[in-house]
Amino acid sequence: CSFFEGKLNVSVDTIQHGVEGLSYLLTESSKLMISEIDFQDSIHVLGFSDELNQLLLQLYLDNRKEIRSILSELAPRLPSYHSLEWRLDVQLASRSLRQQIKPAVTIKLHLNQNEDQTAQVLQTDPSTLLHLIQQLEQALGEMKTNHCRRIVRNMK
Amino acid sequence: ILDDPDLKDIDPTILKHCHAAAAMCILEAGKQKADIAAISTCLEDCKLDKERIEQFCTEYQKNKDALEILLGSIGRSPLHITDVSWRLEYQIKSNQLHKTYQPSYLVTLNVENSDSGSHPDVSFSCTMEQLQDLVGKLKDAAKSLERATQM
Repeated sequence: CSFFEGKLNVSVDTIQHGVEGLSYLLTESSKLMISEIDFQDSIHVLGFSDELNQLLLQLYLDNRKEIRSILSELAPRLPSYHSLEWRLDVQLASRSLRQQIKPAVTIKLHLNQNEDQTAQVLQTDPSTLLHLIQQLEQALGEMKTNHCRRIVRNMK
Repeated sequence: ILDDPDLKDIDPTILKHCHAAAAMCILEAGKQKADIAAISTCLEDCKLDKERIEQFCTEYQKNKDALEILLGSIGRSPLHITDVSWRLEYQIKSNQLHKTYQPSYLVTLNVENSDSGSHPDVSFSCTMEQLQDLVGKLKDAAKSLERATQM
């Protein structure tokens, strides 16, 4: 700020207010995803020149997507899926029982939580695995139902 | 056994010893997956008469499967997935960002701990593409399983 103070011949406070005002303008506009016309109407009341208004509009449109993706990271979030590794195991014996044949699927689930990556090791048996697949395929199929399609259509 | 009226005439210490010995014998037989012949031979060496050996073996045979299941379930293993629940939601807005309009899945894996029996479930959110990735990988595992059983 003090660098620009010398260049532009205004006080540090003014520059700071300018930057804050600009970032507020762009953040709020991006958050609400307002249209071009609404944006122009909003800044018109500030009484700037037409050239400046055009510049501001262009600035808004160019940076809107990036600002929105940064804002989306502020929303409350659960750990999100990152990836999954799996392995097939067969247990042959244990301390309490010999001569076993016990198949199992060992899974390493990678999740992201607030920029940390966690990995959790889980295990399941073949029949539960098939059950999981069936349930999750049903989940995927839901988005294609008429009900969901209607809602998506009407909520734009 | 200490409360059983039929056994009240016997010294409790001896009863306990008998019980412990019988339990040990049964557990060891179960652990080694011993067959009836092996058990009979072992009991003969302990100088039990034929009638008692036969009785023991019959009872053992009746409960063998349950015993094996019980023994097989003892031991440590990673958290075991027992079930899955999911929720599909359509995000409209948050206080930080309006007009998001994105479907999102919330998946909860119900898990069980072999030791303590309960554990907080593993929950996570994912997009449709991520869920497709997840299901794809699980299907690969299932296919591998099928191939392995055919070998």
